[in-house]
Amino acid sequence: MTGTGLLFLIAGMALLAWLVGRARATSLARGGGALNSLPSYHGWFLLVCAVVPPLLFLAFWSAISPALVTNMVLSDPVASALPADAFGRASILSEARSIAQGLQDKGFQPASQPFVPLYKAALAHYQLLGTIATALLAFAGGAFAFTRIRPDFRARNRVETLVMWGLMLASLIAIITTLGILASLLFETYRFFTLVSPLEFLTGTDWNPKANVTPGADNGYGAIPLFWGTIFIGAIIAMLVAIPLGLMSAIFLTQYASARVRRWMKPVLEILAGIPTVVYGYFAALTIAPMVRDFAVMVGMSNAASDNALAAGVVMGVMIIPLVSSMSDDSLAAVPSAMRDGSLAMGATKSETIKKVLLPAALPGVVGGVLLAISRAIGETMIVVMAAGYTANLTANPFETISTVTVQIVALLTGDQDFNSPQTLAAFALGLVLFVVTLLLNLVALRVVKKYREAYE
Amino acid sequence: MNNIPSPMRRPTDWSGSVMQKRIARRYAAERRFKALGLFAVLLSSGFLAFLLFTMVGKGVLGFQQTEIALDLDFPTLTGGTQATALRGPGADATLNSLDLGGIVGVAASAQYGADGEDLIGGGTALAVRKLLLADPALVEKKQRLWVPAAAAIDSAYKSKGDAKAEALVAKLKAQSAIQSSVNTTFLTGADATDPTEAGIWAAFKGSLITMAITLMLAFPVGVLSALYLEEYAPKNRLTELIEVSINNLAAVPSIIFGLLGLAIFLSLFGLPRSSALVGGLTLALMTMPVIVISGRNAVKAVPPSIREAAMGIGASPVQVVFHHVLPLALPGILTGTIIGMARALGETAPLLMIGMRAFIASPPSGITDPATALPVQIYLWSDEVNSAFVEKTSAAIIVLLIFLLGMNAVAIYLRNRFETRW
Repeated sequence: MTGTGLLFLIAGMALLAWLVGRARATSLARGGGALNSLPSYHGWFLLVCAVVPPLLFLAFWSAISPALVTNMVLSDPVASALPADAFGRASILSEARSIAQGLQDKGFQPASQPFVPLYKAALAHYQLLGTIATALLAFAGGAFAFTRIRPDFRARNRVETLVMWGLMLASLIAIITTLGILASLLFETYRFFTLVSPLEFLTGTDWNPKANVTPGADNGYGAIPLFWGTIFIGAIIAMLVAIPLGLMSAIFLTQYASARVRRWMKPVLEILAGIPTVVYGYFAALTIAPMVRDFAVMVGMSNAASDNALAAGVVMGVMIIPLVSSMSDDSLAAVPSAMRDGSLAMGATKSETIKKVLLPAALPGVVGGVLLAISRAIGETMIVVMAAGYTANLTANPFETISTVTVQIVALLTGDQDFNSPQTLAAFALGLVLFVVTLLLNLVALRVVKKYREAYE
Repeated sequence: MNNIPSPMRRPTDWSGSVMQKRIARRYAAERRFKALGLFAVLLSSGFLAFLLFTMVGKGVLGFQQTEIALDLDFPTLTGGTQATALRGPGADATLNSLDLGGIVGVAASAQYGADGEDLIGGGTALAVRKLLLADPALVEKKQRLWVPAAAAIDSAYKSKGDAKAEALVAKLKAQSAIQSSVNTTFLTGADATDPTEAGIWAAFKGSLITMAITLMLAFPVGVLSALYLEEYAPKNRLTELIEVSINNLAAVPSIIFGLLGLAIFLSLFGLPRSSALVGGLTLALMTMPVIVISGRNAVKAVPPSIREAAMGIGASPVQVVFHHVLPLALPGILTGTIIGMARALGETAPLLMIGMRAFIASPPSGITDPATALPVQIYLWSDEVNSAFVEKTSAAIIVLLIFLLGMNAVAIYLRNRFETRW
């Protein structure tokens, strides 16, 4: 049965169960005797009993039935013709299977032909079994719930308990995701460090990953140039653009601009935050990078690269402007107006008040915003992938090609390597470093902002 | 501070030249500072304008396509194939045997000389085939058709090309055998190696399927956890842990979610690579925290009096939330959801990690088919060496930006229209 068909069947069953439950409860109410719960709650109770067990069974069944099907096929005498090596066996079987399921029209290996009817039979057999079991479970659950419907049955309490469980399970997904990220990164990183020493990874200055590693030798997994490139582009060049522009925009819009200008300019700046990074990346590579290179050549640097770090950093800075601006905006607004009024009353001009009173008072909030911005910038991928280039380079010259952690993750994972190759695993190690650093930056930033808010409350 | 203040200090002489100069200096600093602020705002918005103008300027060309007149004398070219042969079930076989590619090549050479074949785009044979299937009677006639021009001619006609192409275009113009029309292939086609045949429909459909999966997973989970955390969660270690992980997930770089998808969905669960299913799952995990955070704010904004009133007339805690709080908070939740979905629609990096970067020549027909997404298609085209892809990339960016701005506009409208100020 196809996925969509199954979905419709379950939806139909659910609707039927709900209607039957409600009708039964309504008729009981009409026959005298006050119901404890509204009829629709009886309907929901019946629905849950009739649908949830079959769904759980289906999940379980879809996990085990492929193995059962393969077993049944292998128990046939034809299976003795299979080659002995595991790889050839698996490829013949999977081809026969996809032909039998109609995913593939014809096979490339003649050996898979005799298995197609076997697979068809086995699939049909287990599908029938699964369908019967699902239907039986649904019927049994429904019947059980149906017999429980009485005027004094507390259907609402049952349903509400289930709802609470559902809510709790939904919120646990966040924890599961976090654990999933941590577990997968840590596990793959551990496997990577069994191949390449952590010392080389964290302190080496040569990034040129080789597919075949020899323990103890220099395998080109020194990530220092990548860390430097990430910091240089994300935390230095981008911030040199984003902090002055973002901060000054926030000051102008909150302190100087008229209400009308503010109403129009704020959304315009926010559009900058809504543009997808792939668009920024394309723009950087297509327009800004050639401009930067031409400029560098004009001032006498003939070796300027077209995928230079400056273009990527500047465009990334522009992307970050709204973040810095809105964080500064918030922290400026949080400064008590008494401080500002006091300064103005002493005869200070607006700019003196801003520079000497508002900004020092708002500094923790601004710093928090900048830390968040840095964490956004170093985790940014598409701009650097499209504009900054793939060659790791330990240099402070912004006109040269510099690679970052995220660029290398993309480069390592978009080839055709095996999942277990050290190159693939290295991407996870880089991901772990990125995860830990952005996590720390965020925690510190949030703490700084929170402390500062408390100071004025 | 040149004057040492004396106990019997005279009032400051503000009209004196020294003080006037000082005041003038301070006011000048004030003006400079204000101008600096204005400059920052203008520079930022100027950058936005520059970006949009560049993209639109390049992209509009992508929606146009240059066409060349081609005289097709079907009876001679096809050796007298009858219209009846192109009707019914045998039509495909007949067309296959005709070698339409060769036929249009011959016709082009006959009309425009030896290099005539280089004038017409690679999609011509397919276009002729569709035309013949739609109207078999054509095959018995001599017909002048407008067919897509080759990429070099196309860019030479629109802006500039190499000398040879420019000369050819001039010649065609003289014969009035060249024109510009709306490029429907771009909106209905799939990725192709020939830029004149490339279109965004396959990528767009992939994006739609991926977004549908993301929405179906992230919205219920996000709303339910927002309700739980805001309304029911007891203050304990577990709740704290949930809150910390949601706040962290919202700040994790998107590429990390791609690594998660690769390690868990692809290699552990063995789900199909490059499929919209895995893309949707990965983006759902990324979008869910955004929905939870905005949902919590929306739920928090519902005043306690509503809850107390509902409880006062005997509603159970679940009824209070699902009958009263949730409907009132829904506009706010929807606003946050749309913004989260807009972010997911523009996301590229995690999809690259799970292999949605393959060359997809036909639109996906299901959630497990190999698919690509619009931003990924933009990334792939931006890597193409053929400069004719520049306008395709920019045109695809325009489509993406229109959708994102549209979604944001809907979110703002919803917020203004339905959000109640208590």
